[in-house]
Amino acid sequence: MARKPKPPVERTKSGFRLNLQNEERDLVLRLMGELRALLLGPNEDHRLRRLFPTAYHQPGDQAMDDEYQRLMREDLVASRLTGLNLVDECLGETSDDSAPLSEAQLLAFVQALNGLRLVLGTMLDVGEDDDPEDIGDDHPLAGEHHLYGFLSWLLDWCIRALQS
Amino acid sequence: MATAPTPIVIDRPDQDESVSPDTPWIVLVWNDPINLMSYVTFVLQKLFGYSLEKATELMLDVHQKGRAVVSNGTREKTELDVFRLHEHGLWATMQRDGS
Repeated sequence: MARKPKPPVERTKSGFRLNLQNEERDLVLRLMGELRALLLGPNEDHRLRRLFPTAYHQPGDQAMDDEYQRLMREDLVASRLTGLNLVDECLGETSDDSAPLSEAQLLAFVQALNGLRLVLGTMLDVGEDDDPEDIGDDHPLAGEHHLYGFLSWLLDWCIRALQS
Repeated sequence: MATAPTPIVIDRPDQDESVSPDTPWIVLVWNDPINLMSYVTFVLQKLFGYSLEKATELMLDVHQKGRAVVSNGTREKTELDVFRLHEHGLWATMQRDGS
């Protein structure tokens, strides 16, 4: 009888365990490194648009939104970088693979994964009615769409583990 | 909003969801095609202590009606709520209640 495959993330008695293949772990870490570089780059990079949304959307509130962006953007960047550092500590080269993740570490991982999806989804211009099944292997951005699907799958499993 | 499997029910008490009549600002979460439905539900539970049922109801409003009011209060309080939602990648804005 075939053994049931392990979920990519599962709750254990001592925390959470990531059951990622080495190449999957390396891929996620590389992407998170790219997200870090983007966050430290120019503010106006359109790929970051969804990470720094408008706060005051009404036309008469533009001055308040300008103030929000001026005061909060730095804090949003710092918050995301702190999360990426936490992910590095538990998944990076110097981490102990056998050590379980704490809830705080998994939450940081979740936020980082979602940040990656927001950037990649923006680059791919993902729409409400897009169906991943429509993306064939001959699509010029097939690799990026598969990556987006992988991140979505992993994020969803993380949420399941946190809610289990 | 992207679809995802139904979240697993967890045991979490309902919070007081009453709305004070004199609170002048509301926080809206808007539909977007990237955030997973399960993720939006999870964030609303985590940040506001909503039950799974309440968070799912709000998430479905976002998904089906385009937006939902997820919190309210003073400008300072709602701006902090918006910031925390932005930290988690949700498309959240605020406006004066009734405007």
